[in-house]
Amino acid sequence: MIIKKKIEVDYLARVEGETSIVVRLDHARPIKLKIFEPPRFFEGFLVGRKYDEVGDIVSRICGICPVSHMTTAIQAVENAMGIDVSQQTRILRKLMCISQIIASHLIHLYMLAMPDYYGCAGVVDMQRRFRKEIARLIKMKEVINELTGLIGGRALHPVTHIPGGFTAIASQDRFASIVKKLTQIRPLAKEVVKDVARFDVPDLHCNCEYVALGDETEYAINEGRIISTKGLNIAVEDYRRTFSESQVSYAFAKKSTIPGRPSFMVGALARLNNKFDKLQPQTKALARQIEFEVPNRNPFNNNLAQSLEVVDGVDRCIKLIESNTFEDEDFRVKIRPGEGSSATEAPRGLLFHSYKINRKGVVEQANIVTPTSHNFQNIEKDLKKLVEENKGSSRDQIRLLCEQLVRAYDPCFSCSVH
Amino acid sequence: MRNDKPKIGVFKYSCCAGCEFQLIYFQKHIMEVFKAAEITYCKMLQSGGTEEGPFDVALIEGAITEQWQVEQLKRVRSVSKYLIPIGSCAVCGGVPAIKNTDEEYEVQKRVYDDTSLIHSVKTHPIDQYVLVDGYIKGCPMGERDLTETVISLLLGKRPDCLEYCVCVECKLRGNICVLVAYGEPCMGPVTNAGCGALCPSHNRGCYGCWGPMNDANAKALADQFERMGISKEDIRRKFTEFGQPSSQWKAGQVQS
Repeated sequence: MIIKKKIEVDYLARVEGETSIVVRLDHARPIKLKIFEPPRFFEGFLVGRKYDEVGDIVSRICGICPVSHMTTAIQAVENAMGIDVSQQTRILRKLMCISQIIASHLIHLYMLAMPDYYGCAGVVDMQRRFRKEIARLIKMKEVINELTGLIGGRALHPVTHIPGGFTAIASQDRFASIVKKLTQIRPLAKEVVKDVARFDVPDLHCNCEYVALGDETEYAINEGRIISTKGLNIAVEDYRRTFSESQVSYAFAKKSTIPGRPSFMVGALARLNNKFDKLQPQTKALARQIEFEVPNRNPFNNNLAQSLEVVDGVDRCIKLIESNTFEDEDFRVKIRPGEGSSATEAPRGLLFHSYKINRKGVVEQANIVTPTSHNFQNIEKDLKKLVEENKGSSRDQIRLLCEQLVRAYDPCFSCSVH
Repeated sequence: MRNDKPKIGVFKYSCCAGCEFQLIYFQKHIMEVFKAAEITYCKMLQSGGTEEGPFDVALIEGAITEQWQVEQLKRVRSVSKYLIPIGSCAVCGGVPAIKNTDEEYEVQKRVYDDTSLIHSVKTHPIDQYVLVDGYIKGCPMGERDLTETVISLLLGKRPDCLEYCVCVECKLRGNICVLVAYGEPCMGPVTNAGCGALCPSHNRGCYGCWGPMNDANAKALADQFERMGISKEDIRRKFTEFGQPSSQWKAGQVQS
């Protein structure tokens, strides 16, 4: 009898972008994440483009986290050209990024991850059988998208955000109205945590380093140092000296590593493992209620971590809007040559951009490292452990587990290849 | 069980997947449309489904940059009643086509050490390879044209998509012209409408993300930019950020 030793998921559904998973049950070959998303060469064609186009162009790297790419790139360009921005701009950026993190988490949790655990093929199927949950998703997403759009002009590929600041600021009335709506969805956000806590996740304990952006005073989103659970603590400017990125033969995405250190993970779980104490008190209380403990070493719990960030994010947005007033600002940008970088927390984790700009304001070098590149090595490592621990299970079970694990990481393959 | 609902297939090529998310973003509206139709293939939305079809409507997202995409696209065309590119990448090349302004190999070399593993070709929109039955423009694609197109096709009538430039929408909003009054280089006069004149309404010039309007007078706008003192290089960049492969904007893409 022939015993098949290979499991191949040849176009993984319900993830952003295109990948296959190849598992050899006999471990004759390493487990591979074959990311076949076609490369679009952003780092290649950004060379020769003007500094003020960069934000608009890189937002097109990803349809689910355009704000993160845009913000990171604009901050890097500003660092390269020595541009200072106002406190208001920094707050608006934070608001826009948090709102996008919430929206992205909601899409991932309800449309990509949840169908696995609720026994559905996809969201259309869910809509028929779990009306309440999907109604919750739609209601929340409407409000959150409105917030992103309020600041950016539109939720997907915003237009107001350029180097130096925002070209237009919404009226106080509109901010007041969005706060009301955010307050209305607060109870729904708590339900999200409960919906996700119902996931029956496998027990898997993985030992890795968790890397995130850290700040002394708050839950860092756009500014801070790069820290980890194993003592890494570097300035963003030292990123390229610490992290290394290399091409692999079976994927168009590059693999990021920290030479001399173990494999690492970024994302919601890594953020919570690093800076749980910086969450809002209500979020911490909720985490205790569902018995979420840090450090949490089960990668499947990235889903749960995301749901906690949804609750935390909604509260933070309300606070940020209520404690600030926003008005139109004049700003002018002077072209200066230089090199600069920036790292932010995208929904899926640490995102890094760096640019070299010449005296005409034209990009000479661009480097972009995405959360999924950061997680690439760790996903494969965890897959290996998962398959080993479930040796006795049927092929179909192992296949589903592998799919669930990759989805739990909330990978974005369009980003990873770019 | 018999199922007479029209079948929709969604295919993704080289792009950010934003248009597929836009399908999801339309929440209520789109749920209504899709109650009348069935999505039988959409990898990002649901597992299962076969790409073999047949489809009543195939929505194609993304530009073509690799050979396998062409082969699949041709198969999809042969089993689909209507095939519609959605979003700038699929309609006019979009941002992924910026790389066409440089030597392909030069661009690849800047990103990958070993280019022997890369099989990319120059970026082309969908209609360069197969016949299409319409366009849903936008970056991300517009809600109005999407619902109009899907409803029309389901009803068997010709969709009435927006076929004029951003300036029309800008006038309707009562904006002061950012090009004439403030000397802001604005792509509005040559860019297809649909966004509601988003950028000019937010104090900046349009950057052309909806791609070229049919019969756009790119030459006149490029000349105007030049009179305003904008360098040839900057003008070329404006006309190649979206829609590099399109003939409509060629007059603005002249190398200095």
